Amino acid sequence: MSDESRQNILNRLRIQKDLEKFTAGALARHPNLEELIAAIAALERDEQDQIYRSAELVARTNNELAAQFIAKAPAAFHAMGGDGVQEWLDGAIQVFDHRGLGFAVDFLEDIDSFAEAYAGRHAQCMFDQASVFLRHFVRGLGGRELRIATDEDTYTDTEGLYLPASFNVFPDAEQNFTLYKLTAVHLWAQTWYGTWRYQVLEKLMRHFDTDKVLPIFNRLECIRLDACLARELPGVAREMAVFGCHDEEEEQLWAQWREAAPMLASAAATAEDSLALIPALLGSPLPPLKLYQGEMFAGKVRQAMFARIEREKSAFQRAMEDMRNEGDGPEGAGADAAQKQMVDMQPTDNEDGSEANLSMQVSMDGKLQQLPEHLKDLVGSILQDFGEIPDEHMERMDLGEYSDDLLPQNGDNDADGNADLSAEGSFSYREWDCVRNRFREGFCTLRELTVPPGDERFVEETLEKHRGLMKSIKKTFEAVLGESKLQRRQSDGDDIDLDAVIEAYADVANGREMSEYLYTRYRNQERNIAVMFMVDMSGSTLGWVNDAERESLVLLCEALELLGDRYAIYGFSGRTNKRCEVYKIKEFDESYNLEVRQRISGIRPKAYTRMGVAIRHLGHLLHETRARTKLLITLSDGRPEDYGGYKGKYGIEDTRHALLETRQGGIHSFCITIDNEAQEYLPHMYGPANYAVIDEVQKLPYKVADIYRRLTT
Amino acid sequence: MSTTAIRTAHNLVTREPYYQPVGNEIAVFAAAYHNQLPVLLKGPTGCGKTRFIEYMAWYLKRPMVTVACHDDLTASDLIGRYLVKGGETVWVDGPLTGAVRHGSICYLDEVVEARKDTSVVIHPLCDDRRLLPIEKLGEVLTAPPEFCLAISYNPGYQSVLKDLKQSTRQRFVALEFNYPNAELEQTIIEKESGVDAAIARQLVKFGHMTRNLKGSGLDEGASTRLLVNAGKLMASDVSPVVATDAAIAQALTDDDDMLKAIHELSRSIF
Repeated sequence: MSDESRQNILNRLRIQKDLEKFTAGALARHPNLEELIAAIAALERDEQDQIYRSAELVARTNNELAAQFIAKAPAAFHAMGGDGVQEWLDGAIQVFDHRGLGFAVDFLEDIDSFAEAYAGRHAQCMFDQASVFLRHFVRGLGGRELRIATDEDTYTDTEGLYLPASFNVFPDAEQNFTLYKLTAVHLWAQTWYGTWRYQVLEKLMRHFDTDKVLPIFNRLECIRLDACLARELPGVAREMAVFGCHDEEEEQLWAQWREAAPMLASAAATAEDSLALIPALLGSPLPPLKLYQGEMFAGKVRQAMFARIEREKSAFQRAMEDMRNEGDGPEGAGADAAQKQMVDMQPTDNEDGSEANLSMQVSMDGKLQQLPEHLKDLVGSILQDFGEIPDEHMERMDLGEYSDDLLPQNGDNDADGNADLSAEGSFSYREWDCVRNRFREGFCTLRELTVPPGDERFVEETLEKHRGLMKSIKKTFEAVLGESKLQRRQSDGDDIDLDAVIEAYADVANGREMSEYLYTRYRNQERNIAVMFMVDMSGSTLGWVNDAERESLVLLCEALELLGDRYAIYGFSGRTNKRCEVYKIKEFDESYNLEVRQRISGIRPKAYTRMGVAIRHLGHLLHETRARTKLLITLSDGRPEDYGGYKGKYGIEDTRHALLETRQGGIHSFCITIDNEAQEYLPHMYGPANYAVIDEVQKLPYKVADIYRRLTT
Repeated sequence: MSTTAIRTAHNLVTREPYYQPVGNEIAVFAAAYHNQLPVLLKGPTGCGKTRFIEYMAWYLKRPMVTVACHDDLTASDLIGRYLVKGGETVWVDGPLTGAVRHGSICYLDEVVEARKDTSVVIHPLCDDRRLLPIEKLGEVLTAPPEFCLAISYNPGYQSVLKDLKQSTRQRFVALEFNYPNAELEQTIIEKESGVDAAIARQLVKFGHMTRNLKGSGLDEGASTRLLVNAGKLMASDVSPVVATDAAIAQALTDDDDMLKAIHELSRSIF
């Protein structure tokens, strides 16, 4: 007998003995014990270990169950691997607990159906696994920024793409992931290739029985969009061809429809052509939806689109008004309403006739003008809805609405404006009045208050909640600190600075005085930065935003303590010019102590956002500290607004003026906001590269620290 | 293997560099040059600033000196220093001094990276005095009419520590550069990399997709230079998706989700 086979026999005997011991002999009653032991001996070592461990545990509950488990284990390992076996056994124990041994044994017997369900669960692709990818991918495809979210139905309302919580169509997770991608592309294509143009939607709702024809329209559009994608994104189209249909029969039905609508394949086809084909196909058998195809909900689209059109129209008119004002300077000849200013459209890509790649050129009084960067998204979105800039958008803004924005400030119009001016910590500031084009001296009265302490547990909870994030923030900040640099021309140091020595030698040879700075030294660069955080405490921050602001401050303080930068935190709010308030959370000279932590947790929404005066006051405080670089960072959730006419253009102009004043004092300002419409006014207020818009409140804590790091390195 | 030292004085651009004008930048630069005004080129990385200067050096038939600025670049690196040779001290001109002496075009690339003391040197050279004081020599050089100083600067950086001071930027005639429009970019890619029109068009489309991602996960989209690089790989028979992954995606980001998104975008086009 060879050594190997002897080893084998010994091995089997050992296994048999051990397992019989675990099951207190229950295993011995197994009919084909020898075969079973041989099968277990043939398993991998870690699988055997798993059987040992599990059998010992189960045997504490029931010996027979353990014996049954051992008897089925080799087959189970073949069917699904270690994790699956663990889940299978957990299931069996649960059945045993609830329904007894008989059912549990039945459960163990039926390995096949469990293995199948298990494979299904693990081949599925969850939304969370794909969402970040999808967001980037769809953003890259172009067009209006779309929300990616889950919903019971799969559809788009032209503001977002709504996808199922998981896909479990294919046996392979990778394929299900691809299906996510294709579904997103198909829905994106509806928004990009004009399925939901305003004109199309109107016709659809007005001339047809919408509910009845929508399924037909959906199929026709699918044919047209597939053709568009085949031209523009051939890679996606290839995958769609593979993933589209369940079987041959479906494929044939689709082919019949394609034959019935050949014009949809042409590059010039639009959604209107699909509409025109609807009557011809009414009554034909509908092919089932393709795997990547969603439902259509005209009502939801209409709702989202109308809200957007209103919003974008006024934003566009505001922007055009600004351009006119900049173009012809102070109200002069340009104010003549008869002077029609034209906007021209030029398709950039006329070769393949694709209408989606439209670019805009603004011509004003016949002169071509470059479309400002921040308007590109807005104009792009309007083009996606209309295919052109509608005449309505080009009309001047309703003067009534506009003049409302510029209502002259009427000072103490406020019944309860009798704030205690003699109170300590009250300051008086001027305000820029863009209607009169001059300052209103001493117009604003501001008081400095302290945030009442809140529950300090908030800080601990935040740190606990963002533990992983904190680690990575700390790491990146440490990297900033750790950047030790070789400093040249030092009076003492680790090594000789050869350049300096040669220069000194040359100086001596030339009969000049020799420099004493001849050494190099590695040292961390001194960070000489003072930063003031100005936190929006207006009423609109109630809820999520307030929480996110506070969490960001906690993480930021931790990070800043690490860097050793000097920093102060103030909140601001107020109601009318007589009651502007800033709330002290942390002064420059204060350490990050318990009290500060309590104050951070105690930040609560107050009233309005009169930004100008807060910037002037905090800018002044910042100005008085000593640092080489001074930074004023605003955390905000919207445009400046206060009771009594401080809104729209007036508020923006005053804020812009206040920022210009601080800038003259050598202070850099930066704004972090979660206002989606901020693109319209922030570049004007802060300058092009001096702001960041964060699309999701939840990202605020991470982004604030990240932006701060980027700003100061 | 032999190396050839290029004397800065003779660094003439002899062959016409390939440059596609986007607007009237050639006329503006030439006018600034003839009026002895310094020029500031603004724009994102890889949009053709350096190539433009090379082209202008060829166009104006002047030698050209390029200095890539870094955070250890001091004034004496630009002006020059004494070296010791056999017990004697010998003065060696820095690139800026050389350019002034020979009436060259001096191009300071990414000037915000340089140490602050360099602005002391640049300032008197950039206004109507056009002087370069060399303290060590006790000399003040007057720049000849042929000399021209050009600097470049990327306003997209959001660091407050790397901003161009008003007193510096207000001395320059500023030209803004951006990525060329789709048609022009396609022509550039075809010409530079040797791929055919269809592939160049797809590359441009891909470039636009990555630029859509700027601000939503990417700091910058793919520059024209990266697109040309990818085109060159494709012209050497690397498959398109591999080429865009290597030349563009990996160059833009390290983030896994973003890499995957860019990879899939590339696959959807090619």
